[in-house]
Amino acid sequence: MQPVKIAFLTTLTLLSVFGCNQEEPTSVAPVKATTIRNLAADPAQINPQTGQPVGATNKFTLFSLKDGVTVANSDSATNKWDIGFRATTLIINGGSIRSGRGGAFIHTGTFDELKTIPAGTTFATDESPAQLAIPTGSGKGWYNYANTLITPIPGRVLLIRTGDGNYAKVEILSYYKDAPATPTATSEGRYYTFRYVYQPDGSQNLN
Amino acid sequence: MLLFVIAIALMGQGPDSTGRATVGRADSLKSRALNEVVVTATRTERPMGALPMPVTVIGREQIRQMGALRLNDVLQEQTGLAIVTDHGQGLQVQGFGPDYTLILIDGEPLVGRTAGTLELNRLAVGNIKQIEIVKGPSSSLYGSEALAGVVNIITETPTRTRASVSARYGANRTSDLTGDVGLRFGKIGLYAFGNRYGSAGYDLTPETTGRTVSPFLNHTLSGRLTADFTDKLKLSVSGRYFSERQDNLLEISPGRAVAGLGRVTDRNMNPVLTYRLSEAWKVTYRYYSTLYRTQTNLTYIDNRQPYDQSYFRQTFDRPEVQVDHYLNQKHMLTLGAGFMAESVEATRYTERQRFTNKYAFFQYEWLPTSRWNLILGGRYDAHSQYATQFSPKVSARYELNQTFALRGSAGVGFKAPDFRQLYLNFDNSVVGYSVFGTHELAASLERLRRQGQLAEVLTDPAAFGNIRAESSVAVNLGVAADLGRQYNLPITASLNLFRNDIRDLIETQAVALKTNGQSVFSYINLNRVFTQGAELDGSYRLPVGTGRLTIGGGYQYLVAKDKAVVEQLRQGKIFRRDRIDGPPETLLTARVKANEYGGLYNRSRHMANLKLFYEQPRRGISASVRGIYRGRYGFADRNANVILDADNEYVNGYMLWNVAVSKTLKAFTLQAGIDNLAGHTDPQYIPNLPGRLWYASLRWTLLPNTKGS
Repeated sequence: MQPVKIAFLTTLTLLSVFGCNQEEPTSVAPVKATTIRNLAADPAQINPQTGQPVGATNKFTLFSLKDGVTVANSDSATNKWDIGFRATTLIINGGSIRSGRGGAFIHTGTFDELKTIPAGTTFATDESPAQLAIPTGSGKGWYNYANTLITPIPGRVLLIRTGDGNYAKVEILSYYKDAPATPTATSEGRYYTFRYVYQPDGSQNLN
Repeated sequence: MLLFVIAIALMGQGPDSTGRATVGRADSLKSRALNEVVVTATRTERPMGALPMPVTVIGREQIRQMGALRLNDVLQEQTGLAIVTDHGQGLQVQGFGPDYTLILIDGEPLVGRTAGTLELNRLAVGNIKQIEIVKGPSSSLYGSEALAGVVNIITETPTRTRASVSARYGANRTSDLTGDVGLRFGKIGLYAFGNRYGSAGYDLTPETTGRTVSPFLNHTLSGRLTADFTDKLKLSVSGRYFSERQDNLLEISPGRAVAGLGRVTDRNMNPVLTYRLSEAWKVTYRYYSTLYRTQTNLTYIDNRQPYDQSYFRQTFDRPEVQVDHYLNQKHMLTLGAGFMAESVEATRYTERQRFTNKYAFFQYEWLPTSRWNLILGGRYDAHSQYATQFSPKVSARYELNQTFALRGSAGVGFKAPDFRQLYLNFDNSVVGYSVFGTHELAASLERLRRQGQLAEVLTDPAAFGNIRAESSVAVNLGVAADLGRQYNLPITASLNLFRNDIRDLIETQAVALKTNGQSVFSYINLNRVFTQGAELDGSYRLPVGTGRLTIGGGYQYLVAKDKAVVEQLRQGKIFRRDRIDGPPETLLTARVKANEYGGLYNRSRHMANLKLFYEQPRRGISASVRGIYRGRYGFADRNANVILDADNEYVNGYMLWNVAVSKTLKAFTLQAGIDNLAGHTDPQYIPNLPGRLWYASLRWTLLPNTKGS
């Protein structure tokens, strides 16, 4: 039988999707979606002989959703950054190994349909390199890995509690430089294209 | 032709046939088809028409008229069968991949699968008397792998003295030289067969280095010695040897190519002793021993560094005893037991690995009235590496009237985890990933950890430890019609509905990440899938001039889906990223609707065939035109949700037309034909489909002391 890999969802995800809270006040000014292109996430050349990455720094690229810019690694112990990128691994500025108040939840649905943080959402945090708020591995977090390609799982929206306690939603669009329509084995990886909505007023409104 | 009838008659003579009288005119297809003797379905000789399960029989004459050389040529033209390519050309039955169908030669399994596929091209068809195909689970008789069905190749027996030689040449410098001889000295019979088959291969992508199919040459030798010591005690010893070498040259990345030799050897030996104690009792002792071996030696062309130097060696040995008991033609009991020892040794395995399996099976067939036929059977397999399996099956046939018969069967099939899934120990040195069988996983992860190659463990390795056999529950329901008896019309038709529910499908899953960013994979029981559909088959035979024309046709409708995907779609939890429809930079996400799910990859919803065979025995002319349609089928995901849901994820459907004509003059038969007349190719998705292929052959047959045929 042709293997068909399915991204199995956790029961937790299944339970919490339908609870869209419609009772939020609608008077708040809408927040706008921003798209960030080609955010370098520790790019490396892969040595075709060994398969080993060459030239990587092993450092996370830290990003502030509020300001839409990267944050220096020297500020890693502050709450200035919200989300960090290194190859396929994403970190969140919250949890016992971080200093911010952040957290993350992987929501199943479309980015546009998600208007607010669903009721009952429990934000996970980074507790250890092996226990991150956004799990690593194919089908477990934000991506599938097949035929040597990383593809963001469609319908996965990262609900983020930022380093300073505000809320945002993030959708990863591509892992490859210039977000090619059809990445190939020679596409340059570790370049994120993603879009997000950040709510500065502290509410859970994401629209 | 005459020989064919004789062979059938000889086969059907024993008291173990059900005793039905041969009905109808001798020249009619339907009476011939329904009375063809089949052994695969029940492990005893039965007229095909009386069987309660779907069975197809392809005889020697039809194989010749098709101009077929290899087993895949024959099977691809049959209703409900598809040839699929995955590490070789394998067989898809009722939506099951190649690893779920058992391929037997004279009832004994062929071994040597690559990634589950048994390369059908390994089998020459020149020594085949008939091919029997049983659809639906047959684990109740044959054990593991007989989940989708069984293909049994019945080879020639030396019933008389005869000989033949044929030579064929065709496009792609494909040549085939076949010879066989049958000798009969009283109670001793000897049959020997030799075949040399070679081709220059072909190239559908001239822009890349190397050919789509590299040049190859193979040889097959087979034979059988029979000795009828008395009427009651008979011995048959058959053997087969196959050897192939292929000169590979392939591009593995732009500008880099590898080259070298690949060899495949396959041999088997099969003595069978039959002792008929009385009319009521028959005992058969069988021993089967086979060896399959491959060697690959590929090096980079530019620097002569090794790319792949590997070998694989599999052995399979099996003694078996079967007892058949007949009680006044109404009750038939079959009991059998055997022991199987299998081993594999390969570059990608830590050490020589062994399996053993003890098994016993029974089958009770009851004919309470002339209208009813009931079969109850089961098999118990006690394996050294996984849990014990019991595979029951029940089937029944009821004759409504002279024209229609209903048949149904329900059974359980299973497929054991194979050596690869248990013992593979493979680090891909080129790409950098690793794959470990479930029994190797713990030790191999520990090795990677010691070597500092392990970045992170994603899944608890203990979850992979107790891998189970894949199993299915299947139901086949059908109706067969024969308009010959009541209406004197040479028309037969059959409809079969099938449903297979499969659980514990073994899939690869990432267990850990390596420091090089690549994954460590192992095997785990994951998915539940189902396949269901309908198969319609029919034939009409009519006189045309002094000859006769047989029009045959078939159609299969198939749905094969992953149950977890169906459930997730129902909940609206599967999405796609539209790269093609919208502007690429938007990469927008949309929810997939349940009716957009195309099911499992590589399955055509519609398959059909239309076959015309014309024979004019008096003038020695025969001709055939066969059209085979394979509807569109999923190839790969292109919108990141892993499932088949978009039009651009399909391979277009296509039609193949094959034609052949032959003329027999005395002892010589000249045949010419063209396969794939329209020259359909699809280099990207169907590399195993060469373009238009012409051929011509000459065959010489020696049949001493007969009036010829």
